[in-house]
Amino acid sequence: MSYFDLTFYVFAIGAVVSAGMMVFSRNLIYCAVGLLFALASIAGIYVLLGADFLAATQLLVYVGGILALLLFGIMLSVKFTGVELRTGTLQMLPGLIIVAGLFLLLLRMIYRAEWAVQTPGDMLPTTTTIGKRIMTDLLIPFEIASILLLIALIGAAYMARRERS
Amino acid sequence: MEFSHFLQINLASLPYFIPELMLVATLLALIIIDLVMKKPSSSGWLAVVALAGVLITLITVVNQYNLDSRSLFNGMLVLDHFSLFFKVLFLLAASLAILFSMASIELAGRPVGEYFTLLIALVLGMFLMAASTNLIMIYISIELVSISSFVLAAYIKRATRSSEAGLKYAIYGAFSSGLMLYGFSLLYGLTGTLDLYQLANLLSDAVAQNPLVVFLAVLFILAGFGYKIAAVPFHFWAPDVYEGAPTPMTAFFSVGPKAAGFALLIRFFVSGMSQPSLVESTVWQAIGNVNWPQLLAVISAATMTLGNLIALVQNNVKRLLAYSSIAHAGYALMGTVVLTQEGYFATLFYLVAYYLMNMGAFLVVIVFQDLIGSEKIDDYRGLGYRAPLPAVAMGLFLFSLTGLPPTVGFIGKFYLFAALIKAGEQYYWLAVVGVLNSVVSLYYYVKIMKYMFLDRPSEEKATALPVAFGMNIMLIVLMVPILLFGLYWAPLQEFTRNSIQFFTGVF
Amino acid sequence: MLLHFAAPFIFVIVAAAFIALNLLISRLLQPRVPSAGKNTTYECGEIPIGSSWVQFNIRFYVITLIFVIFDVEIVFLVPWAVVFKDLGWFAFVEVVIFVFILLVGLAYAWRKGDLEWDKPETGKFARDAAPQLFEEVGTERQQTVQEVTL
Repeated sequence: MSYFDLTFYVFAIGAVVSAGMMVFSRNLIYCAVGLLFALASIAGIYVLLGADFLAATQLLVYVGGILALLLFGIMLSVKFTGVELRTGTLQMLPGLIIVAGLFLLLLRMIYRAEWAVQTPGDMLPTTTTIGKRIMTDLLIPFEIASILLLIALIGAAYMARRERS
Repeated sequence: MEFSHFLQINLASLPYFIPELMLVATLLALIIIDLVMKKPSSSGWLAVVALAGVLITLITVVNQYNLDSRSLFNGMLVLDHFSLFFKVLFLLAASLAILFSMASIELAGRPVGEYFTLLIALVLGMFLMAASTNLIMIYISIELVSISSFVLAAYIKRATRSSEAGLKYAIYGAFSSGLMLYGFSLLYGLTGTLDLYQLANLLSDAVAQNPLVVFLAVLFILAGFGYKIAAVPFHFWAPDVYEGAPTPMTAFFSVGPKAAGFALLIRFFVSGMSQPSLVESTVWQAIGNVNWPQLLAVISAATMTLGNLIALVQNNVKRLLAYSSIAHAGYALMGTVVLTQEGYFATLFYLVAYYLMNMGAFLVVIVFQDLIGSEKIDDYRGLGYRAPLPAVAMGLFLFSLTGLPPTVGFIGKFYLFAALIKAGEQYYWLAVVGVLNSVVSLYYYVKIMKYMFLDRPSEEKATALPVAFGMNIMLIVLMVPILLFGLYWAPLQEFTRNSIQFFTGVF
Repeated sequence: MLLHFAAPFIFVIVAAAFIALNLLISRLLQPRVPSAGKNTTYECGEIPIGSSWVQFNIRFYVITLIFVIFDVEIVFLVPWAVVFKDLGWFAFVEVVIFVFILLVGLAYAWRKGDLEWDKPETGKFARDAAPQLFEEVGTERQQTVQEVTL
């Protein structure tokens, strides 16, 4: 096993374990921290895939921004500490069967399929390519993204604002 | 390739992008006017600006009808009659929604700047949904529609059920977007392209070796599309959102984003997942041996059956109409199963009919909500005597929703069944399911009529209700085309038939 | 390129190891004699009232929301900044449109008061905000004084 593989497994196991912690923890703060590590581990996997800009974005936006938002969201809700948060588990067995079935199906699919694999050569920095593409053929999605962000800003500010009577 | 080459294409595309630019201008104008005029009295002006923007956009869209089909912005969007058809439909729905919002008392006295801004953004998103031919563009346009809808559903912040509606919409929306993105990533992984036309070319080779991947990808992508059109099993959000959202928005959600979902679904499957048949020019074939038409048929049957059966036991009119709108998504899906021009024509025709009758039904709900402050079926008792015009209008809209002649709903259903029968024996079962469902739906539509006309109002409530003049006008404006197109539908038929013109790609 | 990320990766590992090591050493060396008094939250020597979890001001949330939006904007601008020199002024115009649309959002948030901190509702003196309240208290007190003297 090369160092590359070793690093991959570190990040992969980190992602799975912290995602599990996020799902199974009873304390909301622990859930948020679990999510933090899951997102950070995935950033590591992005680096190994040669997507350096994506990894930086993941850290900047998700780990830095969304997670702060989540933590504030938790701390904003009144009296969350004493409350039993977990909702009852319904339909445990059918759920497990479906999830396991889907998992096996996806595994089979991933191993059987002939993916259009591109082997990255020297793993060049991707930022230049991304910059060129959002200025050329992906221009419209780029500009629409600004409208999307504007709408998200207005919507979020409206929803979070206290209504004056 | 050179930057200047792309730049030229982008600049050359701009003249064909005027309707969207108009919407963006309206959007920015609304925000700025709202900021400059901070007084609450300006709310009427905002509605007028929004309406004017929508109508000007409508003119620019109609102007585009004499242009040839073409690809815009390096293959991101297309301009063809198919997308223009939906753009006209969206604008008509949006203008009605703005009028409903102005007339309804539900929004009176609350800030409406954000409301109309989000509505226009929603229309812009739907425009892009109808015209996208690139997976990234599809995703961004869906998100634009979704995010504006979440906030619009939760617009009345003090009402718990409105907030609940927004939250449920957002959670289901995020989940289905995630599934859809996973589906996109599978297709990208197989072919290495995001362009729908290239996808169709490359998939025909790839699908032979990997039918399972393509099938799963279609399944995941259908989660995203199915959520937008509220098809079973991605329909769970619909009743709560329709019940909790401000009623003018409910009317709009049940027509606009649903039609946009259909536009996207048809475009995706026609351009990306099928190829023109070699035998006949009006028929398509599914790529490889991935039987997604059969999948759509099953979803269609499940959607209409479940929607109708649950609608039977509803006692809130908004919820009842929500389940009925789920059922109607099932009917409209029937046309997309057969992969013929006839089928797509039937779906588009049905969407127009559905636009008229569903907007009308929700308008009556708004009228009664403003007058008696309730949307319970029990409280509709005797309304036929207290407010004759809205009640009669409701009767007409419900007849049309059931699909009884001489309404446009009947013509729409007729075309759907005709398309199924014409396509051959394999879809007879679906037509039978559709007919049975129409019979079932008669029961709950007639139930509302029975409450309104056969039950006498109780003594203390026997007074006539003062229906606003504007509401009466709008009711009549919606009733006329339903009857007119029910009796003489040739113009609508011709318009719709001309709209089945897809941009076929440049490769 | 991977090597560029080796340094931060090693940094993360060293930082995590440093913290873990310190906690471990302190755990090994410290004497532990817990008692009920020691386990209470320190509140200047008083007996603490209630939990130390308090509800945060909703303004934090709005500010963070706005921060995230502009965070994403920065992510879009960085690739442009990298290629700006090659692409020239048209790319600049494209980005100006992008930024302008978001500036409208900023103007919106500003004008609607989402960037301001919650100020106390009353002015400088509570008496200015609700004079009638003070009057009521005043008359009540006068009455009591009268009753007592009577």
